Amino acid sequence: MKTLAKKDVTRLLKTWTKEYSVLAPARKSSGDCIFEPFQEGSFTLDYGKPSLPPKAVFLPHSDVIFKVEKNEFREVVSAKKTILFGIRSCDMMGIRQSTSFMTRDQKDIYYNEKRIQAITVVMACPGPQNETCFCTTTRSGPVAEKGFDLLFYDMGDTLMIETGSRRGEGLLSSDLFTDMDDALAREKIQIFKEKAAGDIPKVDAVMGAMNKLEDGTADEKVWEYFGNKCIMCGGCAYVCPTCTCFNVYDQESSPGSGLRARAWDTCLFGGFTREASGHNPRSTQASRLKRRHEHKLLYYNRTDIQEALCGCVGCGRCSDYCPVKIGALEVAKAINNER
Amino acid sequence: MTNSINEFDDADLFFITGSNTTAQHPLIGSRIINAKERGAQIILLDPREIPLARFADLHMRQHIGSDVAVLNGMMNIIIEEGLYDKAFVEKRTEGFDQLKAVVSRYTPRVVEKISGIAAHDIEKAARLYAGADKAMLVYAMGITQHTTGTDNVKSCANLSMLTGHIGRPSTGVNPLRGQNNVQGACDMGALPNVYSGYQPVIDATVKKKFEEAWKRENLDDKPGLTITDMMTAAQNGAVRAIYIMGENPLMSDPDTSHIEHALSSLDFLVVQDIFLTETASRADVVLPAASFAEKEGTYTNTERRVQLSRQAIPPPGSARPDWEIICDVSRLAGYPMNYESTADIMKEINALTPSYAGITWERLEKGQGIQWPCPNEEHGGTPYLHRDRFSKGMGTFLPCDFKPVAEVPDEEYDFMLTTGRIYYHYHTGTMTRRTSILEREAPAPLIEINPDDAKRLGIRGNDVIELTSRRGSIKARAELTTRVPRKVVFSTFHFHEAPVNVLTNPAHDPVAKIPEYKGCAVKVRRCI
Repeated sequence: MKTLAKKDVTRLLKTWTKEYSVLAPARKSSGDCIFEPFQEGSFTLDYGKPSLPPKAVFLPHSDVIFKVEKNEFREVVSAKKTILFGIRSCDMMGIRQSTSFMTRDQKDIYYNEKRIQAITVVMACPGPQNETCFCTTTRSGPVAEKGFDLLFYDMGDTLMIETGSRRGEGLLSSDLFTDMDDALAREKIQIFKEKAAGDIPKVDAVMGAMNKLEDGTADEKVWEYFGNKCIMCGGCAYVCPTCTCFNVYDQESSPGSGLRARAWDTCLFGGFTREASGHNPRSTQASRLKRRHEHKLLYYNRTDIQEALCGCVGCGRCSDYCPVKIGALEVAKAINNER
Repeated sequence: MTNSINEFDDADLFFITGSNTTAQHPLIGSRIINAKERGAQIILLDPREIPLARFADLHMRQHIGSDVAVLNGMMNIIIEEGLYDKAFVEKRTEGFDQLKAVVSRYTPRVVEKISGIAAHDIEKAARLYAGADKAMLVYAMGITQHTTGTDNVKSCANLSMLTGHIGRPSTGVNPLRGQNNVQGACDMGALPNVYSGYQPVIDATVKKKFEEAWKRENLDDKPGLTITDMMTAAQNGAVRAIYIMGENPLMSDPDTSHIEHALSSLDFLVVQDIFLTETASRADVVLPAASFAEKEGTYTNTERRVQLSRQAIPPPGSARPDWEIICDVSRLAGYPMNYESTADIMKEINALTPSYAGITWERLEKGQGIQWPCPNEEHGGTPYLHRDRFSKGMGTFLPCDFKPVAEVPDEEYDFMLTTGRIYYHYHTGTMTRRTSILEREAPAPLIEINPDDAKRLGIRGNDVIELTSRRGSIKARAELTTRVPRKVVFSTFHFHEAPVNVLTNPAHDPVAKIPEYKGCAVKVRRCI
């Protein structure tokens, strides 16, 4: 197994930028951490759980899908060779689930092309990144099992690197890396994994809620309670690694010219399900919240969820950011009568 | 706001009036909802059953325009039952006897007749508000957009001083500003009677200071015109040219046909905006401006916090930041303004505006914003006002008597129309109606009408109905909802398809000159 001295990480990323667009964690002046094009000055390895999952790499907040010029249309499939460095295991599972959903039967070419061009480098979590992490419950972390091209383990001064694909292996040809005895490496990784998993408590309420939804014993009042206080901002869907709904819109720049683009959307908005007649099968915020959470906990697709528990990957971001505390954890606990 | 947004998290009680907080200030609304869950109480005074009504311990639905009476009624009980803060009233205020004399006439029975609110609810509200340790009074346009707007605000201030709910954390009188920088625009003297930081143009010392700084003699020491007055002056020829920036009066000002007439009477109209608005399309010259993401500068938010905003993307086409356009116009008009950058402008603000003196560009770059007053660079800013004394010394009670809305419904115009905004759109829709998902959420104007009234008039949900006031008519679909009480209809000013300000009454508050957007008489008809 290859290892890399931690002090050499920036050198490695700099090398990669010659051929790839490298997205890496950065600390902004406000204190937040986000993924952005690698810059030595703001790059950090002390980034915890970044505020946003990397889904915008594959499904940009708004993405032009074709352009019309003088009544002629031309498809736009934009993608570039990208390395996603340092994503968390939950987000890797998010990418796997979303990719399955977006390409399983009908290939979404705009998404798929970006996914094909992106190399994923996961940074295993040595423990919870904050109090809302529950990947051990959703079987999506703290260490990714599949899907990655490279998997880094932070062992203090050195980083140990597991290879997940040929493409990943190809990135390890530099003389920055040193070899390590495989048996010793496996042993160290085992200890790392056990400690990490042990430090992230399981949230029984999630399983409890899934069971209650499955057998129809969940209290409907839960949705009314949350529906009453939801401010309909859509933030929970925007920070969710597995929410990939979008809306398509046209923008005319001059008569006969313009573009068609798609932009993030969410089932929490009334217009998402409103029909042409004005009738809305999900007419209340309570029913919309119910549908969103049932989608994650009950109506997920067996293929799409890969080896995880459900359509929620346990990153906890909805619980982190909802202004009125309607996150996956709060919902699961409420269904499980732990309110 | 006298107090700060973070202080919502520690308040024991919120008295909210004329603010649909979860729709118009959703993050502040969230704090109120979260506070309710930790045990805080909510009193709501609002004719409409807004979403916060679901959380309110008491919802009083007053007849539109009866706010002064209700607030006086609460003060009547508070004084009558000795619930007021005697120490605060004695040490910090003056004019208590005059207040007592006025509010003594507003007994719960009298107020019930004026406002339609049950006497026992007014008593309950009074006891709850006075009895709380830390109560925040929160209001928005529902208080100010009346011919009695100034009286309404004074009455709110009277109530908070009477109970000592001011000058401490998590208390105060907290108007929620309806735009991200309306506070900043006022602070910078975008008003007819003051320079920046509310320094009066009539003050000779102030005049001299600005004359020296700007190297100009004889700055005008007479207050200028308010928007309301400008439009009348344009119509009668006293004003010949208007330069409008980021405002769409053809949609936002009351009595649209009057505004249309005023603007078309001008010799010259210039509009500076980011899109070709209804008003801009009538202009002789349109100056394309950069949007918030395309320029840098500062915004001052509702809690008086000055924050830096950075440029994210370049402006499209020939659009430019407003300050650059203004500098050029000024130069061509013979007065060169030689600012190199927005930081340069901030230096002048610091030098000439005592409340902004310590809010330097360099400090803003380092932190999360600073709340004025901030008199020097060592000062950390002011989270809440009036701590040990009011700016003028003692707080003077300014009691007001109830006056009805300017246009009370009668036999012919038998409904009260009240106007406002909805969650998905902002003002005249210049920006939000160009945003695909927001437009999908709320694609068309609706008129809220109570199901009882609808039934009587043979109106079903989604029927096209016509509203007619003495000034004009609009047509839109009806939404049957108990959100509005009987004999009240509600609509918004977002939609050019049914511009509600065709109907509204230009009658305005005598002091602030704010029009009575919140109440005018209309009649309702189902269109066939």
